Amino acid sequence: MKRTEVDVLIIGGGPAGLSAAIELKKSGVKSVRVIERERSAGGVPRHSFHPGYGLRDFKQFLSGPKYAQKYVAAAIAAGVQISTSSTATKWASDYEIEVTLPTGLETITARAIILATGARERARAARAVPGKRPAGIYTTGSLQQSTYLEDLDIGTRAVVVGAEHVSFSAVMTLKHAGVKTVAMLTDKKKHETVGIVRWALGLWYRFRLITECEIIDIQGDKRVSGLRIRRGGKEILIACDTIVFTGNWIPDNELARRGGFGIDSHFKSPIVDASSQMQRNNIYAIGNLVLPIKAADKCALDARAVAKMVAAKLR
Amino acid sequence: MNKKVYDVAIIGAGVVGSAIARELSKHNLTIALIDAHSDVGEGTSKANTAILHTGFDMVPGSLESKLVARGYHLLRDYARESAIAVEELGALLVAWNQEEYDNLAKLQAKAVENGYKDSVIISAKDVYAREPHLGPGALGALYVPGEWIIDPWTPIVAFATQAKLAGADILLNTAVSSVTIGAHNTLHTNNGDIDAHHVINAAGLYSDEIDGVFGIKDFTVIPRRGELMVFDKLSRSLISHIILPVPSSMGKGVLVSPTVFGNIMLGPTAQNLEDKSDSGSSEDGLKFLREKGRKIAPELLEEEITAIYAGLRASTEHSDFQIRAHQNNYITVGGIRSTGLTASMAIAEYIKELLVNAGLSLGAERDLPRISMPNLGEAFTRPYQNESAIATQSGYGEIICHCERATRQEVIDALDSAIPPTTLGGLGRRTRAGLGRCQGFYCHSELRKMLEGK
Repeated sequence: MKRTEVDVLIIGGGPAGLSAAIELKKSGVKSVRVIERERSAGGVPRHSFHPGYGLRDFKQFLSGPKYAQKYVAAAIAAGVQISTSSTATKWASDYEIEVTLPTGLETITARAIILATGARERARAARAVPGKRPAGIYTTGSLQQSTYLEDLDIGTRAVVVGAEHVSFSAVMTLKHAGVKTVAMLTDKKKHETVGIVRWALGLWYRFRLITECEIIDIQGDKRVSGLRIRRGGKEILIACDTIVFTGNWIPDNELARRGGFGIDSHFKSPIVDASSQMQRNNIYAIGNLVLPIKAADKCALDARAVAKMVAAKLR
Repeated sequence: MNKKVYDVAIIGAGVVGSAIARELSKHNLTIALIDAHSDVGEGTSKANTAILHTGFDMVPGSLESKLVARGYHLLRDYARESAIAVEELGALLVAWNQEEYDNLAKLQAKAVENGYKDSVIISAKDVYAREPHLGPGALGALYVPGEWIIDPWTPIVAFATQAKLAGADILLNTAVSSVTIGAHNTLHTNNGDIDAHHVINAAGLYSDEIDGVFGIKDFTVIPRRGELMVFDKLSRSLISHIILPVPSSMGKGVLVSPTVFGNIMLGPTAQNLEDKSDSGSSEDGLKFLREKGRKIAPELLEEEITAIYAGLRASTEHSDFQIRAHQNNYITVGGIRSTGLTASMAIAEYIKELLVNAGLSLGAERDLPRISMPNLGEAFTRPYQNESAIATQSGYGEIICHCERATRQEVIDALDSAIPPTTLGGLGRRTRAGLGRCQGFYCHSELRKMLEGK
């Protein structure tokens, strides 16, 4: 097994990880390496094609992929070493991480390790939604990748589950894919996005927002044919061929848990102190690994502040 | 039009049909393995609870008892030689009330009647020493060290692959609708006629309907739904044995068991249905599982759910396997329930005997082509951990499904294999890709592209 050393090792090459890496280099840290499991760095914005990225960190109004590219380019220019298609698989010791790469296995020792593994949306099973398992069920993440990265056929009539910020992003993606959103469902009393966004998009895309409901049955054999919901004791059948489960985030906390770190019982994020340090000296958690969910630019700015502290401490 | 007259045609390429095809492939016979689905193991076999049963709790003297006991040894050895994942966990039948506790001695005596002598009754203290995360209230348990867990999917593909390599025809997307009985049997299907001297019905949920085609009515398949919850891999350290319920007047409970894939499984429910295609989970079933699970292992319910499966067992009104040789060289293998995986290779041997009795001349036995299956088991080295595999093929170092750590090369291997997957589900059963906690958040589109681009 190959063994390497680095000053700071960052797991996860999304906005938080890349922004921290850039700041560390700018602050004079000699070697900074980012481990990214996808084929290209950039994180979730890579497949989120609608504009709205970069307001706070770049003072620009960018699409997700443009925003992601800007961070990747800046990191490379700053001298950050980025390894893509590379997965951190386990802790070899307190300050060593084992990584699988297309070139083989590697154990990386670092003076400081920053986890920036992000969050994912809870899939249908994690929400224990009963019914059949036909094709046509997505999360926003898998929907965006299917639509924007792979250009696959989606469907015609969709129901969006959840009414968070990201849920409206799913509606826009569906529209792009030629799919009509017929309803948006939430078990909450109201939507959780900015009022104007809900109002404008609801008007523009013409879908019903159904609050305080639960899905009791997904129907369809090969392909989704509809779903049954219960609202106020009444059951309603909605015909659709596509269901998108949105939001309801869970941090990708596997590495943190496998390292034996304490986990917050509500958000399931690693427990961190005011400097974002986890329960071991010089091991940090940043970005959406530490919920609640934040916009990409907010993650990036917070990460920058953490990186400044880390650099000062290593000096 | 296919003019070939097969020696044997097997209807149903589940675990039983595939095992039979493999067993018969040891001889110079022409064999057709037929299935209505686009893949092998696509019916009731895919939703198995994945336990390698000793048969300790079967009805003594039953055919099921005999075939499970024999099948246990056959499948265990086969798994070893074909690199199919097995973990030797042992089972604990935990008693939660006095009635259940009193039943432990009876169960132990029954195990002996079934030829299984290694079970022991252990105290509550020993139960908690073995399983510290069990809920409060356990009074004791019957420990059955021989109950193990196995990869339930790979044996099916392995059986069918060996049969195919030995020359059997695997005819998928082929549904039998009627038969003409003459000098030989002619099966009429959507893909034309298939002629065969001997016909084996291993059609699982549809075995009574195939019997009907032959004018036989010995039993009715009553599909019994079993719903299963699979918990996140991070829960795996909570449980180290198969935790089985003790049968009592309160009805049958559910089991909690690790899987060879590194998860914990909770289930199954048992609900008789009318509709053989209703393989969805239900609101009530999931609620029932949560209640039961919370009592057995409360911390488990705090973990994330990775997947929920529902499968239909091919039960009948009879308690035993329904294996019968009929006239016209027709044999039915019906009423095979969750023990069918363990029993599969013994059932195959038994069917071979019945075929010989029916006049089939086997000829000499030959060695089957040896195969080594891709390891899906968490307890064994997987490609992403294997330096020399990555050195030969860099694709083994590129994890494509992050949750299950399935690599690009494993997916390519599956797509290039003798019996390739035709659906994302089938790809998952061969590689684990897409079956993990994110359920495709990251890899769904990539896997779909690879599958469709094939």
